[in-house]
Amino acid sequence: MSESNTTAGAAGDFLGLLKRSGYSFHTPIGDTSRFETRNLTQGTTVFAFHFKDGILMAGDRRATAGNAIMYDRCDKVIPIDDYSLMAIAGVPATAFEMARVLSHNFEYYRRSQLQSMSAEGKIRALANLLRENVGMALQGVGVVSPIFATFDLQTNKPAIYFYDVMGAQFQIQSHTGTGSGSAIIRGILEHEDLWGAKPLDQRDRKDAAMLAIRLLQTAGHFDSATGKAQPEDGVYPVIATVTEKGYEFAPQDEMAELYKESVKRGEHV
Amino acid sequence: MFEEPFRWMEAIATRHSYVQDKLKKGQPVFAVPYNEGSLLLSFAQQSGKIFEIYDRIALGGLGHPADVERLRMSLLDMAHLEGFNRSSQDVTIARLLQFGVAPALKQNFEEVMRAPYLVQLLLAELDHEGGRRFYRLNYDGHWENFKKGAVVAGDPKTTQWLEKKIHQTPFADYDLDRAMQEVCKLWEGAHKEVRESDEKDEEDESEIPTLKQAFEDWNFEAAVLCHAVDRKSIFRKVSDDEIQRLKAALIG
Repeated sequence: MSESNTTAGAAGDFLGLLKRSGYSFHTPIGDTSRFETRNLTQGTTVFAFHFKDGILMAGDRRATAGNAIMYDRCDKVIPIDDYSLMAIAGVPATAFEMARVLSHNFEYYRRSQLQSMSAEGKIRALANLLRENVGMALQGVGVVSPIFATFDLQTNKPAIYFYDVMGAQFQIQSHTGTGSGSAIIRGILEHEDLWGAKPLDQRDRKDAAMLAIRLLQTAGHFDSATGKAQPEDGVYPVIATVTEKGYEFAPQDEMAELYKESVKRGEHV
Repeated sequence: MFEEPFRWMEAIATRHSYVQDKLKKGQPVFAVPYNEGSLLLSFAQQSGKIFEIYDRIALGGLGHPADVERLRMSLLDMAHLEGFNRSSQDVTIARLLQFGVAPALKQNFEEVMRAPYLVQLLLAELDHEGGRRFYRLNYDGHWENFKKGAVVAGDPKTTQWLEKKIHQTPFADYDLDRAMQEVCKLWEGAHKEVRESDEKDEEDESEIPTLKQAFEDWNFEAAVLCHAVDRKSIFRKVSDDEIQRLKAALIG
């Protein structure tokens, strides 16, 4: 029988259980001097902001390696548990693995300890994974720069955190973005928040989603690594919200409608 | 003493009697289908009989809480490691039992110098097509599967009576409220039935527990695996509103 509940380490720690079973998230630093890091697949342009009911998180669908477009249906907004989403920019191989570890970590904790992990615990868990990945990040082969959104069930408030590649976390009061197209998006978000029709946190879900689509279309116009929507192929950005009811992804048919409405010229939110 | 086969068999038989005697005092845990999935339900003097194991798997435990807890943790560890290393679709009760817990339990039971596990477990699984499976795991590693629902009751007479009733009742056609009401009626019915048949053999002057007493004095636990939710994890505890409706329907 398993002795995991009696061995050393924090109770309900899935990463600890994984390590005891022989898994290693941390990869030792090796010689990568001859490795062309620009050939690594990269995911780009994700952002999140507070809207009236909670948090909206969005991302384009493109993955690139240097100048090559590797994939145009990449999902960069990933559900971690019922109340948490992670948006990834950087190397998908590392980012997806982080998301998988986190997701199992939160669910294992909730099921084994019979209560959800605190929002602070969740935020720290991602920081710990990023710290374990510092070696890979510094070599340029495993850089991940995530945004984490969660609904804190204790304070009953949504929270957005931005992380640097070393694992430092920063709570965001209004909006944040990461990835190659994020500079464009952050500029517009700041403008919209301060001088737009309404501050971001007063916009309803539809207005927030339409703004997100327009932001990604704009980023795609100026940044070749950010993919625009391709309605003819049914490829739209990923838009998800985190509210007191948990996370929710905008379904494909809703995205098609929202996209049509959002890109009409001369129409304003 | 155990080098003689008879002594060993005698020791095993004594262990069976010992464990069965301990389990007799436990309150039944039910797992039945309903129109949107599977329902697990129990009354108990201590809370903590129904648990989530993985995205589509739930557990009901009867016996010593410490033993239920150890087996629950084993199942959790195995399920999450398998789900992480392979896929959530590879996490099934049949695999967890056949290649994990059941052989270990059997070995533990037959090592007569070790304390046996005082448990019976009930597991329910809802597959992606809405198919329901129910499993019962005994303290000696023996396990069975059921299609129409199952029960662990400790006492063999109670188990037999309840099993028969579960198989006669069209639970899969009922909504959640109705399914919970019918299970509660079976719980009460089993106590009466077993007492009546016991009275032919011996005198027992304690009162037969009623649903009213059970709701007042004990912990009511119920949870569902519901395929109508758009989530990876389909386990949820029955809400306070649903429990209030149940009480109103049964005891006014």
